[in-house]
Amino acid sequence: MPGDLAEIYRTTYRALVRFLYRKVWDAERAEDLAQEAFARAVVHKPENARGWLFIVAANMARDEARRAARERRHLTLLTAESQDGTPTSDEVFQEEQERVQVRAALEQLTPRDREVLLLWDSGLSYSEIAGHTGLAPGAVGTTLARARRRLVEAHEAGEKGEHVARG
Amino acid sequence: MSHVDDGTLHAYLDGELSPPEAQAVEAHVAQCPACRTRLEEERALIARAGELLARAAPPDRELPPFRPGDVKPPARLWWQVRTPLAWAATIALALGIGTYVGQRRVPQLEPTAPERPTIIADQLARPAPAPGPAAASAPDSASAEQLQRVAERRLRVSKQAASAAVGAVEQKSRQEMLPQIDSIARRETAPLTADGYLASKAAAPVPARPEVLRLRALAGAVNGPPIGVDSARLLLGTDPLVVPDLPIRGMYRGRQLGYSATVIVEQALDSTTVIEVLTGRPSPLQLGEVVVTGAGVARPDSLSPEARALLNTRAVDSLAAAPRPAPAPAADEEKAKRTPSGLFVEVRGPLSPDSLAALKRLLRPLRP
Repeated sequence: MPGDLAEIYRTTYRALVRFLYRKVWDAERAEDLAQEAFARAVVHKPENARGWLFIVAANMARDEARRAARERRHLTLLTAESQDGTPTSDEVFQEEQERVQVRAALEQLTPRDREVLLLWDSGLSYSEIAGHTGLAPGAVGTTLARARRRLVEAHEAGEKGEHVARG
Repeated sequence: MSHVDDGTLHAYLDGELSPPEAQAVEAHVAQCPACRTRLEEERALIARAGELLARAAPPDRELPPFRPGDVKPPARLWWQVRTPLAWAATIALALGIGTYVGQRRVPQLEPTAPERPTIIADQLARPAPAPGPAAASAPDSASAEQLQRVAERRLRVSKQAASAAVGAVEQKSRQEMLPQIDSIARRETAPLTADGYLASKAAAPVPARPEVLRLRALAGAVNGPPIGVDSARLLLGTDPLVVPDLPIRGMYRGRQLGYSATVIVEQALDSTTVIEVLTGRPSPLQLGEVVVTGAGVARPDSLSPEARALLNTRAVDSLAAAPRPAPAPAADEEKAKRTPSGLFVEVRGPLSPDSLAALKRLLRPLRP
């Protein structure tokens, strides 16, 4: 079991961190949660470790979000500060801006669409996503198509709004 | 075949269709330009969405090593915490009982000591509230002796503890004492004797400290203010005597009838026993060498010997110093207490007379 889990860790850890990062928006925290998810997997020895890991990670991220909701105002202030602060370089500034725009676009999706999109991007199959979200396997493609379209549209709308605001 | 819906197109592009389903899609797209266009649009959309998501990715870091050993131990349940706590409580309890018993055992070595004071107190307290005129004025000497014995036993009571409690204790005993003294005095049935005072004091609950003070009063020397070694030397004109190699806890100026200066040195024999070494410098006039007769008919000393001879008759009986006809046994005892240098020396403490005598033989002057 530890051998299997080590293999899963090697192939899935980064995807799990990415998945968590798009929920908590904090790289350090995402890695901590990913480590904790694997630690729990060692104890619980789940059948389908990969799917189990994402379920656990999603639950942890939800708990995290509830806790963060209490500190949201503070977080928003911090984000605003970092945007107002002098960037170390244009590239870093550009990357940060893009991240903020994608995050804003993602948050316009419905929770289910977002979850399916993030799980797919993390490498889960349609059947795994179906098992995770409770969707019918045939509905995963439709949900995923809608989620991708809305993400791109919301992002474009955000960019336009940004340009309008800047212009 | 109908057009391919978005979900199927995405599933096809994602590689999630079964081979027959994929073949069906490919067959339709091959003959349907609209669906072919849509297929390319969706392919672009998927690429674009993936690109956007890639922007919202954490910084790419090296894969940390997999450490299953780092698993956090599950939080300890309350009953797992309780066992060490129970052990700690058991040890603390055992230590506490041991200390308590250890303290209690010392006084228990003398079997009658704890009960005796209560009995004495009852006996002595009875005269005070008694209505009879003679009751308060007749404390028998046996009671006084008993009281002294009890008081001697009680010397082992820690003086530190006593002085800590002394403020409250004295105030309390004084409050409870005064009404009794007042009532006795108001009734004018008998003069308030020293024994009566002691009786009413013994009736008051408590006091370790008053008993110690009483002992000192009975033993003849009363502790005065604490003094230093230099002051003690000045008072005595020589070094005070001490038992060598015993820690000195304190040094006091004492007052004793017949001695112009007395120094009391407290020395700790062990943690519960304190002895007192008294060193006294005799006053020029020794009471033991004076006999007082015929005080009732004393005459002024201003008379010349001739006038005195004329007055004659009872001159011998007048107030005058004369050697005792025969030294009383008590005088021998007094002499035994003196050193060759004329100093009065005594060792007091809750020990047997033999032990006190042995300690007395050890006494040496306290050298600087």
